[in-house]
Amino acid sequence: MKPSRRSLLYKTIPLLLPVKAQAHASEQGLVLLLPTDVYTGAGVAAVVATVLLLAFAPAGLMRRLFASLPLWRWRPGVWPEITSTLSFLFLSVVVAAGFLGPRDPLANPLPLTVWTVFWVALVTLQGLFGDLWRWLNPWSGPLLLLRRVLGPWPVYRIRGTWPGALTFLAFAGFLLADPAPSDPDRLATMVALYWLAMFFLACVFGPRWLRRGEGLTLALTAYARLGVFARRGGRLRAGLPGWQIATRGAGAGLALISVLLLGSGSFDGVNETFWWLTRLGLNPFEFPGRSAIVPQTLLGLILCNLLLIAVLALSLWLGLRLARSGMTLTRAFILFAPSMLPIALGYHVAHYFTSFLVDGQYALVAISDPFLTGADLLGLGDFYVSTGFFNTTDSVRRIFLTQAGAVVAGHVLAVLVAHAIAVRAFGGHRRAALSQAPLAVFMIAYTLFGLWLLSSPRF
Amino acid sequence: MTDTKTTTTRRSALKTLAGGAAALPLWARYTHAQTAEPIKIGFQVHSTGIGAAYGRWYGRTTEAAAALINEAGGINGRPVEIIAEDDGTDPRRGAEVVEKFANQHGCDIGFGTLFSHVVMGSAPRAGELKLPYFVVSEGHHVASGALNRWTLQPGITDVKSQVTAMAPFISGTLGKKVTMIYPDYAFGHDHRDNLKPAIEAAGGEVVGMIPIPPTETSFTRYFPQIPRDTEVLYHVMIGPAVLTFVKELGEFFGPSAPAIFGFIDSLEAVDLSSPGLEFLDGTYFWEGMPRYSQGNNEYDAFYREKVGVDDNGASVSDPSDVSTYAHMFGCWETLHIVKAGMEAAGYSGPGDRQALIEAVEAMTDMPQSNEHPQGAKVFNGKTHQVFGHQYISKVEGGRLNVVHTASIEDGMYPDEVDYTTMSF
Repeated sequence: MKPSRRSLLYKTIPLLLPVKAQAHASEQGLVLLLPTDVYTGAGVAAVVATVLLLAFAPAGLMRRLFASLPLWRWRPGVWPEITSTLSFLFLSVVVAAGFLGPRDPLANPLPLTVWTVFWVALVTLQGLFGDLWRWLNPWSGPLLLLRRVLGPWPVYRIRGTWPGALTFLAFAGFLLADPAPSDPDRLATMVALYWLAMFFLACVFGPRWLRRGEGLTLALTAYARLGVFARRGGRLRAGLPGWQIATRGAGAGLALISVLLLGSGSFDGVNETFWWLTRLGLNPFEFPGRSAIVPQTLLGLILCNLLLIAVLALSLWLGLRLARSGMTLTRAFILFAPSMLPIALGYHVAHYFTSFLVDGQYALVAISDPFLTGADLLGLGDFYVSTGFFNTTDSVRRIFLTQAGAVVAGHVLAVLVAHAIAVRAFGGHRRAALSQAPLAVFMIAYTLFGLWLLSSPRF
Repeated sequence: MTDTKTTTTRRSALKTLAGGAAALPLWARYTHAQTAEPIKIGFQVHSTGIGAAYGRWYGRTTEAAAALINEAGGINGRPVEIIAEDDGTDPRRGAEVVEKFANQHGCDIGFGTLFSHVVMGSAPRAGELKLPYFVVSEGHHVASGALNRWTLQPGITDVKSQVTAMAPFISGTLGKKVTMIYPDYAFGHDHRDNLKPAIEAAGGEVVGMIPIPPTETSFTRYFPQIPRDTEVLYHVMIGPAVLTFVKELGEFFGPSAPAIFGFIDSLEAVDLSSPGLEFLDGTYFWEGMPRYSQGNNEYDAFYREKVGVDDNGASVSDPSDVSTYAHMFGCWETLHIVKAGMEAAGYSGPGDRQALIEAVEAMTDMPQSNEHPQGAKVFNGKTHQVFGHQYISKVEGGRLNVVHTASIEDGMYPDEVDYTTMSF
C-alpha cells in the first residue's frame, strides 16, 4: 500500500543508495480507477436536491418529520452506575493487559479496545442509537460507589464546558499527532493517567464534571443527541436520527463540541492526503513517520477547527442578514452548530470504515482468546485476518460507495435538521429557507470536500 | 488445499510464541529441552503506519517460520520466541524498538525490518548496543557500506542487484531501445542511475528518460515524450496512481504498444484477475519470488503450505487476500539463517552475539531447500549482503507466468565495503 523509502536521514549520507519502493497500489489505486467524479456528482446532487425540496416543502413537514414516537415508561434507576462499574473493571483488566500483554498493538487487547471497539464502534453506535455511554463510561459507577461509601462531600461548581472542549482536543491531538498511540505500554499509561485525572476532578467538581469537563463524555453525549432513542419525560421515545436536536434547544457546550467533532474528524481525513503532505513539504513516498511531524499535525488540527468555526460563523451571519433577523450571531451559532453532528458522524463512519474492517478482525481474535490461553470462545477455528476486500475492483467499489453514502447521508440529514431548527427559530417557512441559504451552500461545498477526501490519493 | 494443523494462524502462533507461563506447555510440545530458556528474537514489525500492509504478511511468514523451527526442536535445543514490537514505520521509533529489544526484553537479536528509512534509523543504535540486526529490506544500504558490522541482510537480495540482473533480459529479449519512466525523486533516480549502465553493458541503449512528479495522478500528457523508436518501456511508478498509469499507457498506445516492464512492488497484493485490470495483460514484471505457483518447485509448495498461501499467492482463507509474495520469503529465509548461524556458533546467549555475526559472515552457498524456497543464494560475508536469482514474469490471463530466471551472477556487482575489517 504505502510507499516510502529514504527518509530525511538519507540526506546526511553522501552515497546514492538504491532503495526499494514498497508501494501497494491496492485499494486507493483501485479507487482512482473508479468513476469517482460521477459518484461525487451524484452525492452533491442529492444534497442540492434536499436543499431545493426544502425550499418548497409545506411548513408542517419538519414538525412531522422529526416527531418522535413514545415507546414505554422507563426508569433505569441505578443500573447505569452498575454497568459503569463493570465497565471500569473491564477497563482495568485491559489496561493491565496493555502493560503485561503482547507488545504487538494488533494482538494486545488494549489498543483494540480503545481504538476499534470504543472510538470507532461505540461512537458510531452512540450516534445511531442513543446514549449507550451513560451505561458504559468507566467513571460514573465508581464515583457513585465512592460517594455511597464516604457519604456526599461538598464539591466546587464548574462553569461552562470549555474544560470538556479542551480535554476533547487533547484526546484528538493524542489520536492524530502522537507518534505511537497504539503502543500498548504507552496507551496503557495514557489511559490510566486520564482515568485517574478525570476521576479526581469528578471528585472535586462532582458528577457534573463528567458532562462538562471530560471531553469524551461531552463528545459522546453530543452524538447521543443524534440517536434514534432517547428518554423524555420518563418515557423512552424513538424518532428519525436528529429528532432530538431538531426539537429541543441546545447549550453552548453542545454547539462547541459539535463543531470540534466535525473539525477534528475532517482534519483526520485531510492529514492522510498527499495534498496535506505536500503542503508540509514532504514527499508522501518518503514519509518520515508520525514522529517527524508532531507540531505540524497539532497546528493543522487547531487551524482546521478554527477555520471551520470561522466559515460556519460567516454562513450564519450571512443567513441572519438575508432573513433580516435580529438574532445575535452567538445565539445562532448555539442553535445551528449541532446540525454539524450528522456530518461529523458520517465522516466518522466513512473515515474509519476501512480500518474497522481490518482491526475488527483482530479484535474478534482477541475477544475469542482474551488471555492468550489458546481459548476459542467464538469458535473461529484457524482464523486468518484478511484484507482481500482491498484488492479487487468490486469490493473496493462497494467499500467506496458505503463511505460516500455515509458522507452524503450525513449531509442530507444535516440540511434537514438545520432547516427544522430554522423553522422553529424563525417561525415562517420562507424566512427559515432564506436564513438557511448560505448554510446550505456551505453544506453542499462540504459534501464536495468530503467526497474529494475519499477519492483523492492518500495513505 | 492445506493441512491446517501445520499452518500457522495468528492465534496459533500467539499460543505457541507468546511470553508468559501460559504458553510454556505449548512450547514443551515442540522442543526437546522443556526447561530451556527461549531464544528471544525481537521482530521489528511495521504493524501500523505506511508499511502496515507489508507488516501483516511479514508477521504471518515470521510466525510460520518460527513455528516450523520450534516443531523441529528449536535452535540448539531451545525454543524460539518471537517478540513483535511495532515501529509505526517510523525511523525514530525504530531506534527505540531496537533499544527495547536489547535493554527491556533481553532479546538475542533484532530482526525483520522492511522499510529502508526505518533500517537507516535503527541500524546505528543496533551497532551501539552490539545487537545482531538482521534486516529484510532489499535496500542497498547494507552492501553500500553505510551501516555497521552488526547489521546483515542474508535473506533477501538488494535492489541494485535486482536492477542489474534485469538488464540482460530486457536488452536481449524485449528490445535494445529502452525508455525509462520514473518518479522524480531519490527512489526513481536510483533506478535511473543503476539501470542505464547495466543496459549499456548488456548491449542496449536508453533512448529516453522521463521523470514524473511523484504525486502525479494523470500521465497522458507525459506519453508524447516517449521516443518513437522505443522498444521497451521500463517504469518504476509507485503508489496509488500506478494502476492509472498502466491503464493510460495502454490507452495511449493501443495494440501497437512497446514491451512494458515494471517492478511487482507496483502491484504487490493487487488481485490481477480482478475485473477492470485487463490492461495489465501482456506486460512484464520483476518478481522477487513468483507469486503464482509455477508447479515445478517442491520447496515453494512446502513454504506456501506452511505460511497458508495458495497457488495464486493468496491466503488459503480468502482467495482475494493476495500476499506480498515477492518480498516476505525474506523473513522465512532469514530466520533459518539465524538458526544455522546460531548452531554453527554454538550460540548460548548474548555473550555469543559476536560469534553469531562471524558465523553468518562465514556462510557462502545456500542451496535451494525448504529453508531457501525462493532459490539458491550466495552470501557475501564482506558486504553482509546475499545474492540470488531474480524472476521476470509476464501477465497472461490474469496471472503472472515466469518467462525468465536471472542467474545469481547476473545480479553480482563489485564489493563496495568489507565489514569484516571493521571492529565489533
